[in-house]
Amino acid sequence: MKPGFTILEHPADMGIEATGETLAQAFEQAAMGMMSIILDVSTVEKKDTRTINLRAGDIEQLLVKWLTEILYLYDGQQFVPCSFSIQKLSETNLEAKINGEQLQQEKHRTKLDVKAVTYHQLSIKHSVNDVTLTVFLDI
Amino acid sequence: MLKKIDNYRHIIPKEYKKGMLIEGMIYADDEMIKQIEKDQTKEQVANVATLPGLVGRSLAMPDAHQGYGFCIGGVAAADPDEGIVSAGGVGFDINCGVRLLASKFEHRDITAKLQELLNQLFRDIPCGTGKKGLLNIAKNELDNVLLKGAQWAVEQGFGVERDIAHIEEYGKIPNANPKWVSNRAKDRGHHQLGTLGSGNHFLEIQVVSEIYEEDTARHFGLHKNQIVVLIHSGSRGLGHQVCTDYLDAMQDGMRRYGISVVDRQLACVPIKSKEGQEYLQAMVAAANFAFANRQMMTHWTREAFQRVLGNGELDIVYDVCHNIAKYEDHEVDGKRKRVLVHRKGATRAFPKGHPALPEELRDFGQPVLIPGSMGTCSYVLVGTEQAMKETFGSSCHGAGRAMSRTRAKNETTVDELMKEMNSKNILVRGQTRSGLTEEKPDAYKDVSQVVEVVHGAGIARKVAKLLPVAVMKG
Repeated sequence: MKPGFTILEHPADMGIEATGETLAQAFEQAAMGMMSIILDVSTVEKKDTRTINLRAGDIEQLLVKWLTEILYLYDGQQFVPCSFSIQKLSETNLEAKINGEQLQQEKHRTKLDVKAVTYHQLSIKHSVNDVTLTVFLDI
Repeated sequence: MLKKIDNYRHIIPKEYKKGMLIEGMIYADDEMIKQIEKDQTKEQVANVATLPGLVGRSLAMPDAHQGYGFCIGGVAAADPDEGIVSAGGVGFDINCGVRLLASKFEHRDITAKLQELLNQLFRDIPCGTGKKGLLNIAKNELDNVLLKGAQWAVEQGFGVERDIAHIEEYGKIPNANPKWVSNRAKDRGHHQLGTLGSGNHFLEIQVVSEIYEEDTARHFGLHKNQIVVLIHSGSRGLGHQVCTDYLDAMQDGMRRYGISVVDRQLACVPIKSKEGQEYLQAMVAAANFAFANRQMMTHWTREAFQRVLGNGELDIVYDVCHNIAKYEDHEVDGKRKRVLVHRKGATRAFPKGHPALPEELRDFGQPVLIPGSMGTCSYVLVGTEQAMKETFGSSCHGAGRAMSRTRAKNETTVDELMKEMNSKNILVRGQTRSGLTEEKPDAYKDVSQVVEVVHGAGIARKVAKLLPVAVMKG
């Protein structure tokens, strides 16, 4: 299956269902999904790169930490990520390069605040050919 | 399995779910309970009842709907010695709350200048995602915001001393400790101070359309046809990050303290534990940030009124928290006891005579502010003794969402929404077009129905109804 994401409905908030041939691709697609909720990603250029290393107790916590890290880059450092490349991924470790640029109000079409990434109905499912993950965000 | 007690109360018995240590109770009428049973609300009330050391009942207010871990509209109180504190029981938007301002104007006085006033407010109050505040304070100054809340803002000239008495906890919850607020949270917060945010946060100019209790309304400074302003906002990225940080710390803490929960989002630790104490001190620091935030927006609202209408006198009727955990004294099993009350999407509703109320409100009770949705009414209620007896002095917090954002957006175009708002004579300005349709009035439950249940059950009484005339959305 081609890597991609869809936005899921929730009575109060929003979720993302992301798919990839590998777990790493699914993680990357989940990140794209989250940024697409926050703003129009097509308005962001790849001007700068950030490298991140994360460690967690299990894979679900790692997924939450991954998306939380991206949210922090945007909300805490005003850096708008637009492309994601995971270099290494295990059950407890993640290394990635993230491209994007500094936030400019007049250039980037922002849409919604994402408050946080939740464990609510979080799931990671492996099949023969692909990986599908579901994660819900607090809006 | 729900046991109907009367027209407004439904018990979830302990037998409903394995591991429930206390009963659950949902406040709803027959029609609402059907809606509530469609999502996970009942399960979430039952899940909360499995947490260690809770007292009384696990409660859901009539605006309850499915949340994360706790339902939105959930209330639970924990024994300070035996009980737990849950970051999920407060939620991500710590001290998201509402503040009502009473103006000197009547509706007819401002009709001609309403659009200009809305435009001025839109210019003066930063809103929307990614928006920076108007003052970029140094990070060490941020610590003072976290310690002093609204009092910090007043010291900086954003308001007057008398504002403080009309804010829950006088705008400054004690025992805040900025040391336990991470640098990441501070990074997310320091440029967002004094910003409205997006999503369901708003600033509305409203008119008092009905009075139910003349004496109480007058005492709150409200009369029919008066123009008021309602501000709904929270602790922005700083509070969201505090919750995120401690949810993570509590995941690890639970392993250490041997606590297992049915839903990871219910992550909790003993109140007395190191993580529990650090969370509580960080959480109240975030709550103080939210008080300062609403105080600054109040100041800019006053300036906008002054500039456009020539009179910027706006008195704070009250300011209440929706998402908070606080130590309070309540009667449990016939005995007075200090408990930690979690309110997630619920409002404190203390009755007359309560020592936590400022002297001038003590003969009437605490104002309970219930925002509706864009295009529908909001309410002012007053707290009651009945709330003290059965809900740890709590009431509902709003309409509660009934429809997903995606469905709301797909069902209505911006043009249709604006036509509907025009037909109701409501002016609207929003940061984005999609943001407006996501917040359309019928995406929410009927706030009047919610308020009728609260009033009928006696856990707050209706005082006044407010109708929007101009809406500003982030």
